[in-house]
Amino acid sequence: MAVETSEMTGVEIVDLASTPLRELNRRLHGLADGAPGPRRWRVLNPNGAHAVGCGLDADIDVEIEGHVGYYCAGMNKLATVRVHGNAGPGLAENLMSGTVIVEGSASQSAGATGRGGLLVVYGDASARCGISMKGIDIVVRGSVGHLSAFMAQTGCLVVGGDVGEALGDSIYEACLYVRGEVAGLGADCVEKGLEDEHVAELARLLERAGFDDLDPRDFRRYGSARQLYNFKIDNAGAY
Amino acid sequence: MSAGRVIEIYKEVGRPPQFVEQFRLEDFEGSHGLGHTRMATESKVTTEGSHPFSTGLDLCLVHNGSLSNHNRLRERLRREGIDFQTENDTEVAAGYLAWRMREGASLEEALEGCLEDLDGFYTFLVGTADGFAVLRDPIACKPAVLAETDDWVAMSSEWRAIAVLPGAADARMWEPEPTVVYAWEKALV
Repeated sequence: MAVETSEMTGVEIVDLASTPLRELNRRLHGLADGAPGPRRWRVLNPNGAHAVGCGLDADIDVEIEGHVGYYCAGMNKLATVRVHGNAGPGLAENLMSGTVIVEGSASQSAGATGRGGLLVVYGDASARCGISMKGIDIVVRGSVGHLSAFMAQTGCLVVGGDVGEALGDSIYEACLYVRGEVAGLGADCVEKGLEDEHVAELARLLERAGFDDLDPRDFRRYGSARQLYNFKIDNAGAY
Repeated sequence: MSAGRVIEIYKEVGRPPQFVEQFRLEDFEGSHGLGHTRMATESKVTTEGSHPFSTGLDLCLVHNGSLSNHNRLRERLRREGIDFQTENDTEVAAGYLAWRMREGASLEEALEGCLEDLDGFYTFLVGTADGFAVLRDPIACKPAVLAETDDWVAMSSEWRAIAVLPGAADARMWEPEPTVVYAWEKALV
């Protein structure tokens, strides 16, 4: 019987059908601070498990063969995590750095509160994508749901498809690029001009995501009107 | 705890594996089934407060979420002659559906009425004699996933529950849109 081993391929294979999830995550966490160990990992049979590859802090590659549940790759630093399937709610939540790629679709709150790094979704993301984003770059090839980029602070959200209601509601500073239809803009979110510097930024993001077949000039740019930053006496009656 | 010809409802306080054994679920046969474990937020952990709630003849409801206007709505429905056994919010949603359908609404119309008359969070799953229906509130606060193959259709709060079904890996899966009623009515009973 031929058994693929890490000695032969350099890839550490962990089958979640037979290995407890906590054992996998404990081994991955053990690679922090430059600790020795495998740099390439392959995870089999996730079957919707929660928190797969959560809290990584090492420059490693993790390939997950199947659908994952809540909070996959949350709080990730440095690592590249690729999901060959769909992801549940809270994908790459609070991403710090590194790259998270989902080849299927993602559920709600993808990339929420992310502070850095890159999140790429080949399919659609659901409601509240990039909610309270703080520096993460998110590139979704398909569409995203309602209340995406709610209270977004910094970073870029790029959507190749359509966007649901209330995009960028109460946005501070973040760049939102949309190729398809926007069902509605949230409070203080407005369309802005797509200048050369934005086309260049968008081209870089699309290239990093592997979507360089999309033309950056087909996108529209949205951002903050900056009218909610400070208290206005004219609005006193609304409080 | 059910009323009607086809649907049977069994509820108990305890751990799911014990429940499966106690009621010999493995011996059950049928075209469709509906299961729920409850994390109580609005009323006590009792058998009566467990889901599903019967919503009339061969109808039952499970609910993920919480309703904030259930007290006022319960009083209104009591005046319409709907009985309630508990202080539970989901029972009010079940009573609401029963009342709307008693007044002539279809199941889909009754569910669409929830969007106007219920305040709060909900992902509803309604079991009927020959199928089931799904509705999420406009904010889609609570998660839901649907999966379909040529042989079956399944709805769950998350993929983990569906992944164990035969052929799940190749199922078409998607998230139900908020405010859209999804219904399947072709089960053979």
